[in-house]
Amino acid sequence: MMMKRIFIKPELCEGCKNCQVACLAEHSPSRSVWFVNLSDQSSQPRNYVELNNEGRPVPLSCRQCDEPECVSACVSGALQRDPATCLVVHNQKQCAGCWMCVMSCPYGMILPDARESKIAVKCDFCADRGTPRCVEACPTGAISLIEAPSPDTDGEYYVLTGGEQQ
Amino acid sequence: MSICISADKILYNFLASKSDVETSFNRVPDQAVKCGFGMQGVCCRLCSNGPCRITPKSPRGVCGATPDTMVARNFLRAVAAGAACYLHIVENAAVSLGEIGRGNSDLPLKGVSLLNELAGRLGTTGSTEEEKAVNLSNMVLADLYRPRSEKMRLVKKLAYGPRYEKWAGLGILPGGAKSEVFDALVKSGTNLSSDPADMLLHSLRLGIATGLYGLAMTNRINDIIWGEPEIRLAKAGFGVVDPDYINIMVTGHQQSLIGILQDTLSSPAAESIAEASGAKGFKIVGSTCVGQDMQLRGAHCGDVFAGHTGNNFTSEALIATGAIDLVVSEFNCTLPGIETVCDQMHVPQFCLDDVSKKQNAEYLPFNLKDRHIIAGKIIGAGAESYAARRKKIAIDVPVHGYDDVLTGLSEKTLKNFLGGSYKPLIDLIVAGKIKGIAAVVGCSNLAAGGHDVFTVGMTRELIKRDIIILSAGCTSGALENVGLMSPSAAEQAGPNLKEICRQMGIPPVLNFGPCLAIGRLEETAADIAAELGVDLPQLPLVLSAPQWLEEQALADGAFGLALGLSLHLAIPPFITGSETVTRVLTADLEQLTGGRVIVDGDIISTVNQLEAVINAKRSGLGL
Ligand code: SF4
Ligand code: SF4
Ligand code: SF4
Repeated sequence: MMMKRIFIKPELCEGCKNCQVACLAEHSPSRSVWFVNLSDQSSQPRNYVELNNEGRPVPLSCRQCDEPECVSACVSGALQRDPATCLVVHNQKQCAGCWMCVMSCPYGMILPDARESKIAVKCDFCADRGTPRCVEACPTGAISLIEAPSPDTDGEYYVLTGGEQQ
Repeated sequence: MSICISADKILYNFLASKSDVETSFNRVPDQAVKCGFGMQGVCCRLCSNGPCRITPKSPRGVCGATPDTMVARNFLRAVAAGAACYLHIVENAAVSLGEIGRGNSDLPLKGVSLLNELAGRLGTTGSTEEEKAVNLSNMVLADLYRPRSEKMRLVKKLAYGPRYEKWAGLGILPGGAKSEVFDALVKSGTNLSSDPADMLLHSLRLGIATGLYGLAMTNRINDIIWGEPEIRLAKAGFGVVDPDYINIMVTGHQQSLIGILQDTLSSPAAESIAEASGAKGFKIVGSTCVGQDMQLRGAHCGDVFAGHTGNNFTSEALIATGAIDLVVSEFNCTLPGIETVCDQMHVPQFCLDDVSKKQNAEYLPFNLKDRHIIAGKIIGAGAESYAARRKKIAIDVPVHGYDDVLTGLSEKTLKNFLGGSYKPLIDLIVAGKIKGIAAVVGCSNLAAGGHDVFTVGMTRELIKRDIIILSAGCTSGALENVGLMSPSAAEQAGPNLKEICRQMGIPPVLNFGPCLAIGRLEETAADIAAELGVDLPQLPLVLSAPQWLEEQALADGAFGLALGLSLHLAIPPFITGSETVTRVLTADLEQLTGGRVIVDGDIISTVNQLEAVINAKRSGLGL
């Protein structure tokens, strides 16, 4: 089985933050890059562009971990790993706002919502679109969409990787 | 290769068939990803602490600039740059007029009756026409060069009375035009003005200077030099190009410069040079607004002007036909993209004004005194190019355009056509046969659905609703090349407008020519308003620059807003990152000047909005 993943090539990132604008737009009422309110401090992008130790920008978003710490930590059942897509899905209605996920994510990719700090917010892979909006907005190719073999598929993937490593 | 679409199907098919020629149409897909901060106007790179961008986590620049400040500064700079462009044009035109008046050129003045009329209106002294030409030139230049603390003196005489009073009341009468541009740059710098309201008012002042001088005065001066427009039918589109001639393509906005080729290229000397290289003669092939201007004054251009081919984004395609032997440019819209096509097609380039200097063009500094030397160089180079390149280059001119485009409309010719007064038009509006007027103006871009897609689609929908169209700018190139400026386009209009057009033998879309003619539209509107005894914002008239492209269009737009008109744009002018600027331009301004911006990227919803504005103004007038 194949799954979709955002593939990051940090060396191509120019730090333009267009991926963040796209994410904000996608999760705003108009969905439009022209009209999303960039000054609305109760909104937040679900992806990040941070500087590494060398001062170079690195785009970051939820890794949709194979064995997600956030899901293990989640007490309310709001966070689940969808076996069909292998995406880590957060059900906002079920979220208790206990921040167990926020504390357990090793990458800092799930945060309290900026509006009321009542529920957690993370990348939803733009669930109802084929390609996440950030990927479409990246002018450099620093983030791209790839299809990777699912780790849930028995055998092949691991054998292949192991073979390459030898 | 995937390419941008066009409302002009023949053009599109032609470009699609030229897989070996790269034009702007091919580059659109590769530039499809846009920067969201740029789109909203909230990227500032005025200083080395930047570039700063506004996000929910970074709501102000390092210096403390808010999104309102950033957007207002960016907007003012753009309007100032656009105003600068048009002021450059009127400056050159005024200089040429002065030179002719002083006897430093053998060019005749073809529009002396307008010169006398204008001298009367402006109080220009002089016992001879030459003296009046010199004095008019001096009056215009003096106004352009005044400090900002001195108001320009001609504004009162040039502006529609009620508007002048309005502007005086709002404190937006412009000081010296060039100083207004200069100080716009000053105040929009780092750690200078942070006040969006002041910067927006400054934009309106620049709009007034642009409209009255850059547009309207340029038209008048060119009419005085090259002759006033006359209504006539003309050929337009690539079909005007005859490969048997040495074809000199002209791009720009300044007939005051290009015009020197009109008589020289048709002189017996030029003809024998052409014949010696195997051609039937020389032709000037119009492209972009200067072509539109020559079409407008076509009655005075003679056969040497082949006709107008199309707007800014058709220029690369025109060269790709192989039938162009030389390009002469003097202003925008001279796309950098023509250079590679010129190289490919072995077309030399000349430039008469270094503001439009192309990298591989030879610069011939313009001076009216040297006009025969300049023209001689162009004639020689044209003949040489024709002889050298025609053996190597395949020619493929598509069957394109229309033979019966109604041209030559101006503030005066339209009035004369109607019998010397706008009364008949007003009667039709009062009777509801014509619902209102839409001025469809400005540029063409490859956004807003594709090349001319929004302009043409919106115009078709407006005429269906019995709204008559006046066009000025690259919109004219678009609309004439899809047949909407030919009398037969009456069939596409709504029942009432169709009947009127059929009776009068006119199309429902009237061709005022280049973007400079936005100045003529203002005068037309002012004449209609005067006849009705109302101010401009009360007229059932809307302005749309659907496919605005660049800074000049924003300066034109600022003029429209100062005039108190509702101005539609299909693409926001990089302001949506500021709530304040967006609110002022799209709403609050109506309380000040009567004008406002309508941003709408959907054709039907736009036409609904424009029709609603027209209906509201109609009821305001009791119609
Ligand atoms: S939120 Fe963190 S832990 Fe959870 S799936 Fe994303 S990256 Fe992994
Ligand atoms: S859009 Fe691409 S280049 Fe720009 S910050 Fe995001 S990942 Fe980097
Ligand atoms: S002027 Fe202010 S907002 Fe602009 S780049 Fe400098 S610090 Fe940033």
